[in-house]
Amino acid sequence: MIDERTEELAALHAFDLVEGPELADFSRRLEREPALRRIVDDLRETASACAFVAPAVTPSAGLRDRVLATCATTPRTGPASQRSESDAHGGGGGDNVTPFSLPAWTGWAAAAVFALLAAYLGFTASRLDYQLALLTESEALAALQARSLDTALESERIVSKEQTLRLKTAEQRVAALDTELAQTRSAALAQIAELKAQADLAALKIATLNSLLGNAPDATAVAVWNPFSQEGVLTVSQLPALAPDKDYQLWVVDPQYSIPVDGGVFTVDAATGEARFQFKADKPVDTIAKFAVSLERKGGVPKAEGPMVLISP
Amino acid sequence: MSVPSEHGRPADLDAPLLARIADGDQAALGELYDRFSRPLLAAVHRILNDQREAEDIVHDAFVAVWQKAADYDPTRGSAFSWVMTLTRNRALDRVRSRKRRSELLAQSAPADLGYDQTPPDVVQAADLGERGAAVRKAFGELPAEQRQAIELAYFSGLTQQEISERLRQPLGTVKARIRRGLLKLRDLVAPPAP
Repeated sequence: MIDERTEELAALHAFDLVEGPELADFSRRLEREPALRRIVDDLRETASACAFVAPAVTPSAGLRDRVLATCATTPRTGPASQRSESDAHGGGGGDNVTPFSLPAWTGWAAAAVFALLAAYLGFTASRLDYQLALLTESEALAALQARSLDTALESERIVSKEQTLRLKTAEQRVAALDTELAQTRSAALAQIAELKAQADLAALKIATLNSLLGNAPDATAVAVWNPFSQEGVLTVSQLPALAPDKDYQLWVVDPQYSIPVDGGVFTVDAATGEARFQFKADKPVDTIAKFAVSLERKGGVPKAEGPMVLISP
Repeated sequence: MSVPSEHGRPADLDAPLLARIADGDQAALGELYDRFSRPLLAAVHRILNDQREAEDIVHDAFVAVWQKAADYDPTRGSAFSWVMTLTRNRALDRVRSRKRRSELLAQSAPADLGYDQTPPDVVQAADLGERGAAVRKAFGELPAEQRQAIELAYFSGLTQQEISERLRQPLGTVKARIRRGLLKLRDLVAPPAP
């Protein structure tokens, strides 16, 4: 019994499919293992039978004569030749050796030999011509292959150049798109800021405060309130000048609170009665119902105590 | 007409012909030509796909037989196997030397993948005819994938790797198909035990 791997090698060897170092190793094994040699011979015998699978082909009429004519003039070497010569001398191969010759036959024999020789030489010349044609064809094929390789190489070079160019163009395009994207983003951010500003502007609460003072009936004020930033600006004019211990105090009336929310204290220019006062509410304001300004003691109070001097409608 | 010999194979009726050829008997060479030329030519034609080249190879093979008949060892195999191996090697050398293997294979592609069941249309030696019919019948009983692998292994001159690529199968699969196919073929065509 042999293992499957060896059996596989034997089968491949039967088809001459084992090559290189594997063949060298297997050949050494065949020299050492007669049993393996018998298996390989057996498989090669079967492989040779594959020849019968080929479709039948009829030999040309002259092939047999050509074979025999060539062999008649082909010298043989080695043991076979020596044995043949020995048999001829010893008379062992009598069937195909003429032991004597007659003068009348000599001419015919010479003519026959000459004819065979001429046929052989003619055939040899034909074969040489044919082999020359094959070599010429091989050379032409090789030249054609070389040209094909050159063409393929040139094509690859052109393709490579085109690909490099395309890559460069693509890189430039990507850079341009990056720039365009940055510009678009910047424009979008600006647009968002503008929209936000517009939204803020739309949401601004603007109110005019009217005087409740008999001695300053023309006193007015304008309050602007940004509900997003919870900040506002109060601009007043013609308010009476304050005594040193007094301040004006701004109030923001939000319905959610029971008392007005403190907006801070401010003073006015004694000469003109004007002031511009930036304020913040003391508490978060949702809805402003009114703005009011009262006269309070210096520093302001948490809950209005003094008289109201200005109020919005 | 097959008689088992000492080495387990049926007695080879052609071996004595080779012995006579080794002794310089041209008549024996003529007899051997009459028996072997058709299967040899068919196989070489299958390999080369060219009648003129095939006949050239067969011619050279018989000249080699004439020169080397004394080298034949009947204990190693039949006379037919010896002559066929010698002939096939020349045909495959021709294929490789011409560097036209792919062209030849393309030309012979239609028959590559199928077993040609066309019966021989010529009369040949009766025993070889029977042998050929038995081989063709056995070949037809092999699974198609094993037939493909064996046909390429025997007729194409391709390497293992090239056969693998041609069949688009892993190398291990191709090797296994060749082994199994050849073993099955051997069992199918083996003569009945005496």
